[in-house]
Amino acid sequence: MPAIETIDLQREYPARRGAGLRAVDGIDLAVEPGEVYGFLGPNGAGKTTTVRMLVTLLRPTGGRATVAGFDVATEPAEVRKRIGVALQAAALDLLMTGREMLELAATLHGIAPESVVDRGGDLLERVGLSAAADRRVGTYSGGMQRRLDLAMALIHEPEVLFLDEPTTGLDPTSRLTLWDEVRRLRDEGTTVFLTTQYLEEADQLADRVGIIASGKIVAEGTPASLKAEVGAPHLDVTLVDESHRDAAREVLARFGDGRPPTSDCDLSVALPDGSAGLAPIVRALDDAGVQVATLDVKEPSLDDVFLNKTGEHLEGADAAPEPEPEPAA
Amino acid sequence: MTAELRVTWALMRRGLNEVLRVPGASIPGILAPTIFLLGLSAVFSEAAQLPGYGTTDFTQFIVPVSLLQGAGFTGAATGVNLARDIERGWFDRLLLAPAPRSVVLLGIVGSAALRCLLPVTFLLLVAFALGVPWPGVGDLVVCILLVMGFASAMACWGTVIALRFQTQQAAPLMQAVAFSAVLFTTAYAPMELLADWLQVIATINPTTLVIDAMRDGFITTMSWYDIWTAVLAIAGMMIFFGLLAVRGMRRLGR
Amino acid sequence: MTRASLALMRRALRNAFRRPQFLAPLVVFPTLFLAVNTGGLEATTALPGFPEVESFLDFQLASAIVQSTMLGGVSAGIAMALDIEAGFFDRLVVSPIPRTAIVMGRIGAAGVLGSLQVLWFLAIGFIFGAQMATGPGGVLVVVALGVVAAVAFGAFGVLIALRARSASTVQGIFPLVIVALFLSSAFFPIELLSWPADVIAEYNPISYLAEGLREPIAFGWDAKIILEGFVAGLAMAGIGIALAISALRGRLQAAR
Repeated sequence: MPAIETIDLQREYPARRGAGLRAVDGIDLAVEPGEVYGFLGPNGAGKTTTVRMLVTLLRPTGGRATVAGFDVATEPAEVRKRIGVALQAAALDLLMTGREMLELAATLHGIAPESVVDRGGDLLERVGLSAAADRRVGTYSGGMQRRLDLAMALIHEPEVLFLDEPTTGLDPTSRLTLWDEVRRLRDEGTTVFLTTQYLEEADQLADRVGIIASGKIVAEGTPASLKAEVGAPHLDVTLVDESHRDAAREVLARFGDGRPPTSDCDLSVALPDGSAGLAPIVRALDDAGVQVATLDVKEPSLDDVFLNKTGEHLEGADAAPEPEPEPAA
Repeated sequence: MTAELRVTWALMRRGLNEVLRVPGASIPGILAPTIFLLGLSAVFSEAAQLPGYGTTDFTQFIVPVSLLQGAGFTGAATGVNLARDIERGWFDRLLLAPAPRSVVLLGIVGSAALRCLLPVTFLLLVAFALGVPWPGVGDLVVCILLVMGFASAMACWGTVIALRFQTQQAAPLMQAVAFSAVLFTTAYAPMELLADWLQVIATINPTTLVIDAMRDGFITTMSWYDIWTAVLAIAGMMIFFGLLAVRGMRRLGR
Repeated sequence: MTRASLALMRRALRNAFRRPQFLAPLVVFPTLFLAVNTGGLEATTALPGFPEVESFLDFQLASAIVQSTMLGGVSAGIAMALDIEAGFFDRLVVSPIPRTAIVMGRIGAAGVLGSLQVLWFLAIGFIFGAQMATGPGGVLVVVALGVVAAVAFGAFGVLIALRARSASTVQGIFPLVIVALFLSSAFFPIELLSWPADVIAEYNPISYLAEGLREPIAFGWDAKIILEGFVAGLAMAGIGIALAISALRGRLQAAR
């Protein structure tokens, strides 16, 4: 039995005018127990809406979903007992201390009072907050708040852990600390469902990645298999002089298919022969009198997978933010 | 059952943090009803010279009104705090816990009932210092219980609005109802002296029964009739607003 | 000077009308209070010493106007503090406009809103049977004095915002507003107030403002009382604006 399973899961937000917005448009998922599943997509793709449905905060408007074997719509209480959730903004009470927060989380999950203190202490130790345990959460850094948030999500030893963009807004060091913790959880056998807009995060952590765009899954597989599907590496070119752009594009077109450039380069072209194809390109550019600032051979990344499926780049893709959930009518 | 009681108590204690850990922020809320009491009795004290008040001391006459006002403000503030918790995502965490949503609601409402004791105690101290006669332990306890009930009912209303609009900007809607519930009654004058239109509203408004009963406690002594009508009125309000709040909780995420 | 002030005033007004949830309480609460005061204390007009009036509503309209413009002052202060918190204030400071425009635009907006607040309460009054003792001319006087009051309270709101810099602190002055109002003759004739409110009300400029507003509505053309209202209002406005501008200068000095 999969740890998370969805069949044609949908969520439509009622629009004030015209047709409703379908934030999640028929998603099928099957996440196996013990797996780390990375849910990758730009802002507004429907990641958070999907997670909110899976954790019982939002009702699906179509399809069905089970988590840990229970239906999210009809057996939400059973689901809640078995999941841990760290939502996007670390939802903490700034007036309480870290220890009090954990003890409150334990009480909320019905953990017996005599084991509340021990369990809280262990978790604080685990996420490296023992020293700060008796300080108010308001004095914590962003990284500390996220770690406390994670500890609260783990208080009842959940079967399935949901992490919604756990490292958005964190500095690189805090991000690495959190990644280590996720790996440790996987090693202990916890199923982790992780949403992210960072390629590297999905690449580093996920056993399997689902790529979501405009409410639909456009690709799914292990990071390696997805990248292999795209195949060849590509070449990013930065020019010294913008006015050479057309000339350069003409030259490059002779060697491979052009691709939309990222924000870091002026032109980009597929390299079917890999690095071996580089030398003729350099010569041809030189012959055409195009002055090149940098040439960068890039191995295929999940961004290429995304580009391949949607025609857009993932990072820096300027999608509209996800709509706020409508208040209950 | 004990697990649920523990959850309720934990949430109530958390609600008290706002008062105990940011004392500065709660001062206006504690002072406001007392300021109203002092202000109203300074300005309108002569009104009690009219026949029908049962006392010539206007302060004594409006102590119950100010007590309920303090409770109403506390209830509305509880709604505002809930809206803030929703805005910040904290409320999601409560909803994710397996504790039943009715228990979560009970914790929120219970904290309002406890918190209202702060403005109420302060106000009573000031009132007694000003010479309002001691109503007797029994009547005072009944009054305080009624006031706590009213705070709970208004906290339920605040919860309804917080769940519906999910923003602190809806605060005036919570306050306006608490304000109207207390003042569109016999708050300022006995029924027969009210304007005709206000007599109609005050007769329909169940808070009138509560104010009249508490007033009997402060001016003379509460009768059994006073007590059971007031308790019934408060219970009715708690059930009415409580059911609305439960409905609001149920509809979350739809 | 004037063009920048006008532009900032228009912005302040536009923002106010775009967020009716912040604007509505300025009239809703004084209206509710007006209703309970008139409905609950109607009988007090029979008290010995109460001046001859057509109805208690005539008498109470002025207090609702004063109360509403005072709330308008608090909300102007909150808006100013939010500008400071959001950094918009700094953007204005570094732009090539006269510094006083930052203050005057906000205070001007409070004045314009004040005229609408006065009209609201007069309309409510007329609907529920209030009489204007001085006719249409009186309406003009009441609107003019209401604007003066709104400007004065707006100036004090802005002053507090410039000193406190945080919206929640400005919000915290609300109880003081209520105290200032209760210690005046805004709600009840000064002869009937009890000690010490009666003594304080004698020196409280809000008393004169309220009586100046009340005179043309409830009683008639008494030049002395109306003039006293304008003098009190204009004096408060002048002092408030001067203090607000000096607070602005102080802030800019300290930033250097």
